[in-house]
Amino acid sequence: MSTVNTSERPVRTPWRPRWLVVVGVGAVVTTALTVWLGLWVTPPDEVQGNLARLLYIHPAVATVALYWAGGVALLGSLLYLWPRTRAFFWDRLAASAVEVGAVFSALTLVTGSLWGRPVWGVWWTWDARLTSTALLLLLELGYLALRRVPADAHIRAKRCAVAAILIAIDVPIVHFSVDWWNTLHQNGTILDPGFNLHVHGSMLWTMLLSFVAFTLIFVWLLAMRYRIEVLQDAVGDQELEVSLSERWNEDAELVGVGGGPGASGGDDGRGS
Amino acid sequence: MRYVDAGYIVAIGGSFLYGLSLFLRRRRWERALSVKESTPDERPAVAEHP
Repeated sequence: MSTVNTSERPVRTPWRPRWLVVVGVGAVVTTALTVWLGLWVTPPDEVQGNLARLLYIHPAVATVALYWAGGVALLGSLLYLWPRTRAFFWDRLAASAVEVGAVFSALTLVTGSLWGRPVWGVWWTWDARLTSTALLLLLELGYLALRRVPADAHIRAKRCAVAAILIAIDVPIVHFSVDWWNTLHQNGTILDPGFNLHVHGSMLWTMLLSFVAFTLIFVWLLAMRYRIEVLQDAVGDQELEVSLSERWNEDAELVGVGGGPGASGGDDGRGS
Repeated sequence: MRYVDAGYIVAIGGSFLYGLSLFLRRRRWERALSVKESTPDERPAVAEHP
């Protein structure tokens, strides 16, 4: 059974911080604007036509999966492993980032596949960028599985921190894969290695807005996931006790209905 | 346009569904916490039958 530092226990419900509401509203507004600009306002690309509209979504989703989630997971894990900054806050933050990152890695692969089918002619190819992104998703799923292995809370946190660092090693591989290998996947969508802009005008603004939108979505999801992590730890060890208590109550109810010896004595069924 | 529409639906719909699942999970754990934190006196007396 894991033990948790209960000094970090959460306040009781409801939990609706004002900043999270602002982030949520901002995410909805910027996402709606991105959809409107991306589907109706921006012109079709002269090479890709309307398929270029997928590029207002896919790079932003990939950015969240790779840099935001990967960065937060790495930072949280390093700060947990560093003895001076060790706190469950960092472990929970890293775990939350990995789960959100796994969702966005999956979305990256699916949206990329939806773009690749009409442009490349295939849903999937063993391209370096695609393969390293798929590996990222598998590593994140492995992390989440590792987190479910029962252990002392500190041991679990250390294991997971090391796993998150291993995940982080894959992030630069994904990023530089298009430079290191001769891949089917294109190079940088907005900037080339010489930092020259590829995108201009309304297309550029729409793309930048999509980055803001998905960053806000990420922050909102991360905060929600972190809250769950806190609640899970708070309930933690006591969960079994609560389940047993509820079971005893059910037994007591059955005895009460049956007119058994526990009913008349006012016994609540929990025993001493 | 069907690939484009599908891409938008997957990205935004996927994020929304995951957010909804987090909201529901949070509510479940908050309920579990409130059950845990309630003292035995606060819990409903299930054995009191006529």
